[in-house]
Amino acid sequence: MARESRHPDATPTRRASSAEPSASIHRRSILRTPGSQAARGLPRPQGLSASGRKFAPPTPHARAAFRTIDSRRAAIFTPHRVRRKSLREVRDSPRDFLLSLGRVLARNTEVITTSSSSPRDEDKTPGSDGAGNDTTLGMISVGDDDDDDDEELPKRPRLSLPIGEEDDDDDSDDLQPHRSVVIDDDNFTMQSIEMPRRAISEQPGGRFSMGDTRMSDYFNTNDMLHSEDIGVDSGFFPPTAVLDEGNFTMGMDELPSPERLDSDRGRESDFGIEVPVGDINESTFMIAAQVEESPDRAPAAADTDEPMYDDYAPLADQRSDDLDDEDLLGGVPTLEDEPVEARSEEQQDEAETEHAATKRAEMRGSGKKTIKVSKYGIEYPSLPPAVVKRLAQNFATASGAKGKVTPDAMKAIMQASDWFFEQLGEDLQAYAKHAGRKTIDESDVLTLMKRQRQINPNTTPFALAQRHLPRELLQDLRMTPPFAPKTRRKAKGGAEDEDVT
Amino acid sequence: MAGQKLYPRATVKKIVKAHSNCNVSKNADVMMFLDYMLFMQTLMKEATIEAKQGGERGITARSVKKVTADSLAKFRG
Repeated sequence: MARESRHPDATPTRRASSAEPSASIHRRSILRTPGSQAARGLPRPQGLSASGRKFAPPTPHARAAFRTIDSRRAAIFTPHRVRRKSLREVRDSPRDFLLSLGRVLARNTEVITTSSSSPRDEDKTPGSDGAGNDTTLGMISVGDDDDDDDEELPKRPRLSLPIGEEDDDDDSDDLQPHRSVVIDDDNFTMQSIEMPRRAISEQPGGRFSMGDTRMSDYFNTNDMLHSEDIGVDSGFFPPTAVLDEGNFTMGMDELPSPERLDSDRGRESDFGIEVPVGDINESTFMIAAQVEESPDRAPAAADTDEPMYDDYAPLADQRSDDLDDEDLLGGVPTLEDEPVEARSEEQQDEAETEHAATKRAEMRGSGKKTIKVSKYGIEYPSLPPAVVKRLAQNFATASGAKGKVTPDAMKAIMQASDWFFEQLGEDLQAYAKHAGRKTIDESDVLTLMKRQRQINPNTTPFALAQRHLPRELLQDLRMTPPFAPKTRRKAKGGAEDEDVT
Repeated sequence: MAGQKLYPRATVKKIVKAHSNCNVSKNADVMMFLDYMLFMQTLMKEATIEAKQGGERGITARSVKKVTADSLAKFRG
């Protein structure tokens, strides 16, 4: 806005171009041309471009107008026109910001006025020269109509703008049309502006070359003072020392300052080194000890077998030792201790894996073949793995699993079955005690299965037994059943009726 | 299944007796083992599904472990 007030010609460039160029141009031409002659002459030639231009323009302003119009027209016909339009929109490039900023700052200096005034002079002078060009351009633009003029006009404003700059800008814009490149350049400049600020402290690669040149310069001086030392240092102390010197040689230091800088940098770098150096024995031993320990732990944890146990062990302890929480707490350290022994055992004999397994089992208080102890202190065996495996395999294939059950899976299944029987015993005990018995009866099992929803009106226990159990066991079931099953069913039906009602 | 016993009856009785601290009647273990078979059926079925969902080939320990808790809960009395 301030600019407009100052240089009415300069600012309207953009806005006039966007708003209503034609009218503004007419006004301008009228304003500029002092004489009414020019005022008469101008609008016509613009309206009738061909005839108007063939005749020599009356005033230099008119020439300038023609010339600019022709240039606009030529610009319109140039293929880059679209780009320029696009550029107008994009105009807000860092450079424009800089220009505007410069204008703001230039209030005091008024550099712009001089620059804008000078181009006008230039316009006048080439305007006379451009008369011949005008004719040629006029020939080209002969076919153009007023509409073209209207279209042309948008660019008009630039002429009035600090013309020299803007025209130069136009030329530069013609080059800029690589908008991507322009943006990249802008970014690059932005980065280049920022980079050094950051880089002064660090100055990685870019300054390196700079530092080299400077280094060479200063090395000449330094060579004058201390010939070989610095050269050797520069050679051996690669980037940091060089950079430091490159940065700080700004102050034209003699040797001491780079040494200081190097010492500063060197102190940090040496700091890590020195600590071990100062405490060589202790620190190094500490580190060595850690290094030794860690690999030992890692493989112990990495053992495939142990995680299996580790996963279940706490739970197993929970389940088998619900009474004692201390066992839980005690179970964890034992687990931690196990790997150590396992390690030692493995180191001793890998062939004794079974032995180790038994030891682990003893450690945990639960073994496969060895006797486990229930929470009542009663020892009990676990189901033979062969039976479990056969069952698991049968059901797995029946459920569509491919291949055999892996040993790992078998371990998990065995664990699950142990838990199942534990749960089963507890539940049956609860039912039996609830019935006031000390003996778990078949009715308890039936009640349990009914509660598990394994038995429902549609699936009778007898059907289940027939489906899953072999004949012998069925006969055993029937041994009692001949009368019992019916009673069961009746009882079951009655129970259900009770439930329903 | 054909030639050999399906399961050691005495073992099942001992196990349940130890866990329940109760006596087990004469033929109750058959029904217990029937229940166990149903549990195994459920467990393996779930493990198979889990293994297929996990993209595993065959039943692995991971799938079984994942399913164990649910299956046990299902067979809670």
